[in-house]
Amino acid sequence: MAIARRSTPLVILAAAVLAVCLACSPRHNQPTVGVVFETLQTEYWTASRDGIAAELKRRNVRMLEAIADGDANRQLEQVRNFITRKVDGIIVVPKDADTVIPMVRHANRAGIPIVLFNRPAAPSDTHSVAVVADNFAITRDTVSWLARKALQSGPKHKAAILLGDLGDLNAIARRDGYEAGLKPFGEAFETVSRIPTDWNQEKALAGITNALQAHPDIDFIFTSSDLLLPSIVSALKSAGKYKKSGEPGHVFLGAFDGDATAYRMLREGYLDADGVQDVDFDTATTVRAVMELKAGKQLPPRIVDNGFVIHQENLGAEARRMWGAKP
Amino acid sequence: MRRFLSSQYFVLWVSLLYAAVMAPFTPAFLSPENALNILSSMLPLLIVAAGQTIILITGGIDLSVTSVIALASVLGAMTMTSTSGNVVTGIAVMLAAGALVGLINGIGMSAGRMPPFMVTLATMMFFGGFAVWITKSKNVGGLPRNFNAIGDSLPAVALIAIAIIAVLHFVLSRTTAGRWLYATGRNPRTALVSGVPVRLTTTAAYVVSGLLAAVASVIYTGRLETGSPVLGQRILLDVIAAVVIGGCSLFGGRGTVLWTVLGVLFITLVDNTLNLTGVSNFAVLIAKGGVILMAALLDTVRTRYATH
Repeated sequence: MAIARRSTPLVILAAAVLAVCLACSPRHNQPTVGVVFETLQTEYWTASRDGIAAELKRRNVRMLEAIADGDANRQLEQVRNFITRKVDGIIVVPKDADTVIPMVRHANRAGIPIVLFNRPAAPSDTHSVAVVADNFAITRDTVSWLARKALQSGPKHKAAILLGDLGDLNAIARRDGYEAGLKPFGEAFETVSRIPTDWNQEKALAGITNALQAHPDIDFIFTSSDLLLPSIVSALKSAGKYKKSGEPGHVFLGAFDGDATAYRMLREGYLDADGVQDVDFDTATTVRAVMELKAGKQLPPRIVDNGFVIHQENLGAEARRMWGAKP
Repeated sequence: MRRFLSSQYFVLWVSLLYAAVMAPFTPAFLSPENALNILSSMLPLLIVAAGQTIILITGGIDLSVTSVIALASVLGAMTMTSTSGNVVTGIAVMLAAGALVGLINGIGMSAGRMPPFMVTLATMMFFGGFAVWITKSKNVGGLPRNFNAIGDSLPAVALIAIAIIAVLHFVLSRTTAGRWLYATGRNPRTALVSGVPVRLTTTAAYVVSGLLAAVASVIYTGRLETGSPVLGQRILLDVIAAVVIGGCSLFGGRGTVLWTVLGVLFITLVDNTLNLTGVSNFAVLIAKGGVILMAALLDTVRTRYATH
């Protein structure tokens, strides 16, 4: 009881301070966009974040940033906080196609435009615009080019693919693109190993190491993300198969994203082809979409980045468009 | 200073002071909508933290709560979306999964005499991997609307949380079972000699922790409208930090769920304010790391005061 009596003045004082603070809450007149990333743990996401930030700054729009560290529930809370802030728009890089749906629903209810970057939402009764790369077509074209190059060295090849997180629609599209890219070549390519990685480099290293031990004659590898290239390099080196293009024993290697590691490996001749997501297009289009939605414009539910394939034969011409090639 | 640090209202004062300091710099912090957001974020975390409180009182730790959340999420979702499943069965499966993991933890410690850290680390890895394996890393969507409504309904979640806190507070403060928990945490050997069924008490504590993690999973899963094999993976440090900040001792024998309420409030306030101000994620991680470090230091100081 004595403690309670001594505590009462403190409580009253704290309440008074809070009331004063309420009157002093800061206000901004500048448009504000909340940007929620699932993670910044890869070069692609960092480049995307920087691109979005630059485009928002160019448009004199204030950016509020939040990173969910791979936690969908945290991402939902961050979106709801931005809705409370009454931001003018929200850009979300979803963890996956399903858990983003309630986030979109909250934004729809609040009347705040929401644009999804890189990953679309699964079909639902919510409304959003997604800016996504055509993962299927870019992968198909990359694998197709790689297969034609491989056939110049021999009629039959053993192949392996490193798969991404199959909860991610992008990973599924790249897997399907890989299969479509090889299909026209029939039995010339036999995929002996499909390695699930969940976008994890340790899993990728273990998987490709095991694959090379089980099938030492694998000479054709596609990875669903440049993120996994270091794991492949490590496994190939351990197996004595890390050779440049044109050298005996070279393993035909294709990848997807367009990061700095891929650019370096292309220049050095270890990587044969890379499917590139056009980050400049994606980030500028995403910001433009959220501002246009805020202005009341109607946009299609999906805006597609057609990307491009970069390989050793067009490296000089296309490098300027590759985000990983920028200093 | 000693009385202030030892006060059971210490975290409340810190929370109020923090709110007062941050409010001028945090737009919309004091709005009604944000108050609801804070409650919404706080309540499922509180339920998990309440279970962790029981464990810490016994001198143990439960690292498996995150895997319980994920496992319960996917098992419940798979049950509800099966042809013979329904919401009630799904929730029952979720709760049963949580209790089962808790039982395995408890038996591992009481019968196997293994350290809590090792047992719960093993179950965390095993059941976390199991959740990924049975779903092949894919989400389970298409959950019934009336299940999703549970997680989305703040009044329903608040009622569940209040009921849990009320029951646990009653058990801890008014029952023999509560005294057994504290006795086990202060000195298990002395407790055993005094007639406390230490093994049963320890096992029951872990069953309760698993069960409460499963309850939180019901809320998280409904809120996200998806059964996810990686649900709740990142909240373990928040749970432990909240319990320790609230005043529960890492050394066992001290703590109450009411203190944990304050600890969860503080950690939620930190997250909320930093998010509203739009500071970089790296700053958020550093700030939360600092808070957890301070909580651990404070626990050491308060334990020293309590024993002298």
